[in-house]
Amino acid sequence: MIDSTRQQMETQVLNHYLPATAYRFMDIGTSQPYLMMGMLTNSGKTYTIRIDLAHFPESVPEVYVTKMLYTKQGTAMDSPSASMHTLSSKYGFTRICHYGSNSWSPRVSLYKIFIKCRLWVEIYELHLKTGRPMDYYLNHQS
Amino acid sequence: MDTSLHAPDAAELPIVYIDGEDLRRFLASGVTEQTGYSYSWEGEGVTHLHLHPLRHAFGSTGSVLFCRQAPAEVVADYAVEVAADGTARLLIAADDSWHEHPAMLIPAQSELFSRSKGILEVGALAGKRVMIVGLGSFGSQIAIELAKAGVGSFALMDFDRVELHNLMRHTCVANELGRLKTDAIADAILGKNPYAEVDRYPVNINRHPDLMLSEVERADIVICATDNNESRFNLSRTLVEAGKPGIFGRAVTRAEGGDVFIYRPGEACYSCLIGTGMFRQGEEEITDEASARRDGRIASYMSAADADAVVQVGLSADIEPICNMMVKLTLVELSRGLDTGIASLEDELVYNYYIWANRRERRHANWSAMPNAGAKPTIMRWYGAHIATDPSCTICGMGSLDLGAVDEDMALLQEIQALNASTLDDNTDDSTEQ
Ligand SMILES: [Zn+2]
Repeated sequence: MIDSTRQQMETQVLNHYLPATAYRFMDIGTSQPYLMMGMLTNSGKTYTIRIDLAHFPESVPEVYVTKMLYTKQGTAMDSPSASMHTLSSKYGFTRICHYGSNSWSPRVSLYKIFIKCRLWVEIYELHLKTGRPMDYYLNHQS
Repeated sequence: MDTSLHAPDAAELPIVYIDGEDLRRFLASGVTEQTGYSYSWEGEGVTHLHLHPLRHAFGSTGSVLFCRQAPAEVVADYAVEVAADGTARLLIAADDSWHEHPAMLIPAQSELFSRSKGILEVGALAGKRVMIVGLGSFGSQIAIELAKAGVGSFALMDFDRVELHNLMRHTCVANELGRLKTDAIADAILGKNPYAEVDRYPVNINRHPDLMLSEVERADIVICATDNNESRFNLSRTLVEAGKPGIFGRAVTRAEGGDVFIYRPGEACYSCLIGTGMFRQGEEEITDEASARRDGRIASYMSAADADAVVQVGLSADIEPICNMMVKLTLVELSRGLDTGIASLEDELVYNYYIWANRRERRHANWSAMPNAGAKPTIMRWYGAHIATDPSCTICGMGSLDLGAVDEDMALLQEIQALNASTLDDNTDDSTEQ
């Protein structure tokens, strides 16, 4: 679970790249801490990302877009999909596949995960426009 | 202990063993009678007699009366008359009367390892405690080898049960299917060393950080024999925190080879190793689909057929050399500073990372064939390396986060954003995102 030293290091990095209003650590000190991060896509839409920190940094954190997303075809993105880079949803949120456990290291920063999520969201919007699977734009995270 | 007992020949079945330590305990207790337990392998004519119930049971159980003098009436299946000088006489109940029968002694603790005297001082390792996380094909073998070497105390961590798919490379046998691995391996350890102290923790260690820390602190060394990185990273952090040595071992795909890493406090930690190019996480042997799915090594969207192709189990004979190295490194660490027959290994096993190849495949494809390999790397030889401490390691160093490829990710993001800006919606009805 994330400890205070690690949280300070992460905060330093996040502050370097993002305004302080763009993220907030939640439920720190409980068994289910998480990080909420806001993002604005180029198209002007806002998304909130939830990164669960209960087993971070020892394992790949679970990351959610804090709502259920739908494909262009209208299917809820609530289950594992290789072509759409999603995993089984929780809390009613779409869970995104951002890092594979084989490439995971405890040194990976939350900011790096955030960038991967931004990439995912932008590609999701591309998918909504073209109908192409997200796979088409994004090689699998190994 | 000098006793009047003599070994029976085959005609004198049953063969009966009496716990020598229990004879002493009975005498020392001062009581005149105490009922104990007999254990028999059914149909084999072999029985063991103990004062206290065994933590590992086998076959059928009966009663034995430890006494100074057997009562006239038959009150138990067996009676052991213990004289003041420690000698014992065995009586077996049959046809409502006692019949004297020869018996042998289960050796007392001090005699159990007399055969390995001179190589490893028994007393030294009897006081050592090893924590083993993961009791699969690696952990089970290592546990039993360490028990054979005289390690006296164990903490066993694994929440799995013995199942068909993990039986072939495991020390457990078919009639142990369904047992908790902690129970089965505890029995195997006690079978080699009945005086060992074995604590069983059938839990997911990743969900019990307090237990992990307290057990690491109690242990003299920790064996990390799990197949998932979360527990390796968790253990690595705890080892650094507690200042305890730990050994990490694994096989790569189909056990074509493997590697062993040892953390010695003050030196590079497991996370430092991950940062080097020498360690290839993605090539790890996957032997258990359920476990690999749990921690994401097999993605949840992978079909059963695809997953089946990924799960490739190597030969037991191919993982044995890796287990063996882990055992040797453990024994060297445990006997450090003691005057033992393996002290010379301290000057040999000085590296913290060891690589082994069973076959010249994949990662080892460009290694030399064994004939005429000379100084070039070839199969079935250990190669050691020094992994240096990574000053920026977040676990053991000053700590800095990995932002290495953020620039690449940003560049890709900008590319996608540009593509997004220039891509027209092919459907004006943008109602799909809700
Ligand atoms: Zn380190």
